[in-house]
This record gives sequence, C-alpha cells and structure tokens, in this order.
Amino acid sequence: MLSPDETARLVRLAKQGQADAFTLLVCAYLRAVYAVALSIVGRPADAEDIAQDACLKAFEHIDTCREPERFVGWLLQIARNQARNLLDRRWLRDVAGEGAKVLEFATIPSAAAGQREDLLAALATLDVRSRELVLLHDLEGWTHPEIAAALDLSEELSRQILFRARRALRVELGGAVPLEGSHG
Amino acid sequence: MDDERIDFSLLDPKRDEVRWGRIVTSLAAQAAAERRARLSVEWQMARWARPVLAVAAGLCLLAWAGGWLGSGRASVGGETPIVLTVASWAANQQVPDPGALLQALRGE
Repeated sequence: MLSPDETARLVRLAKQGQADAFTLLVCAYLRAVYAVALSIVGRPADAEDIAQDACLKAFEHIDTCREPERFVGWLLQIARNQARNLLDRRWLRDVAGEGAKVLEFATIPSAAAGQREDLLAALATLDVRSRELVLLHDLEGWTHPEIAAALDLSEELSRQILFRARRALRVELGGAVPLEGSHG
Repeated sequence: MDDERIDFSLLDPKRDEVRWGRIVTSLAAQAAAERRARLSVEWQMARWARPVLAVAAGLCLLAWAGGWLGSGRASVGGETPIVLTVASWAANQQVPDPGALLQALRGE
C-alpha cells in the first residue's frame, strides 16, 4: 500500500489526466479492491469483474473524491456498493429462477473438492467485515495501521478481528489450514 | 498459532502475473483515456451546452418580454391609444368626424 501522501499526490495527478498516475494507483490498489469485493460476493471471478468496474467508476468520478488522502477508503466503498449491487441482482435472478432461496454469500458445499473451495466455504462462515479484514491482511499484505486507516477503525480492533477470524477459519478448515510464515 | 497468516494464494488473482499485468495495464489505460476525454474542450462544451442554451433562451425570453412591454408603453407617447383618443373627445365634448373615427380604430 502506498503512503497517504503518495496516494494523494497520485490522485491529484490522475485528476489532471496523467496516465502514469492511473497505472500506479491501479497497481497499488486493484487487488485490495478485489479482496473487498470477494469478501461480499464470494466468487473470485465476480470479484475480479467488480474490482475492475469499481476502479473505472472511481476514476470516472475522481473529481468527487474531495480528500485525496482518503482515496483508498473512498475506493473501497465504491467496491462494496458494486458488490452489493451484484448480490442484489444475483438474489433477484436466483429467487426468480429457484423460488425462495436467498443467497447472502456464495453457497459452496463444504465437502466440495479442492482447497480453494474449502477456503471460500470457510470464509463464508465469517461476517463481511471479518472476511474483508482477513483478506486485506493475509492476502493483500496490509498492516494493521493501513487497515485501520482504510476501514476507519482502530488498530486494536483490527488486530482483534483478525485474531478471531483466523481462529474461526482454522476451526472450519480443520486440519487442512494453509499457513504462511509467522507475521504480526 | 493464530498469529500466522492464512495462505490465500489460491484466491490470489496475481497468481497469473502475466494476466494480472494485462488487466492492470488495460484498466489504467482505459481510465486515463476516459479522464482525458472528460478534460477535453469538446467534452466540456457538450456537457455545458444544454444549460447554456437554457440560460440563453431565458434571457431571450426576458428581452422579448421587456421589449414587448416597452413597445406597449412607447405607444402612449408615439401612437395614442384609442382609449385616450375617445377620452379626449369626451372631455372636450367633441363629435369626431368619420375620418378621425376610422383613424382611431385603425390604431394609427
């Protein structure tokens, strides 16, 4: 993640139409946007589409980002809105096609083959904020100060949420928990 | 240990670096192009054309209304309305001849 000052500088350059600024911002934040989208829609392919749409929408309306230092939080909120819109459309489609079935998250059978599906199923047991936080930290590599600034919560709360989320995921995944090296 | 990261690499879109790089490049280029288009003079003119036309139409309407009202008042001094002509006859107890009556009715 870029520093707030660097992000703000790039946002101002992007407002002037400088192509390099867009590239650097997309490089820095597209995966984080994907992580937020995935935490809501639960399907990686959909999350990728949403991430791209959210970035395009953000840059289209970049003039409305009045505080460039808070660009990241603003961008992530656009992603959440886009993701929820997709869920609404998916719900309408599924209700129309299957009756009264309500899908809040991708329904992945826990017995489905593949560790990927196991991860998605385990994530589905968490609340949205926990999913978002654990993906931003463990997938995207954000630190707790960065998460706290972007999600508007305290570092302490960020640590608590992450701790509980990891513990819950380990319970869901049982003995097949994929772990990286030890990090704080 | 709960302080160990969960490995989400299987969900990581960057696993395919080439594909991800293409996505980033394409996305940034599209966003930049759209932004430059918005900043262009043509786009600004197209965006503001309708409001400017609406204001211009309003000003024209006001100018026309003002001219219409002004022309109405001007006729009191320049072209005597029939009401004033008849009132003048009545005040002076004059009986207009047919020629004068026709002229007053024509408003000239």
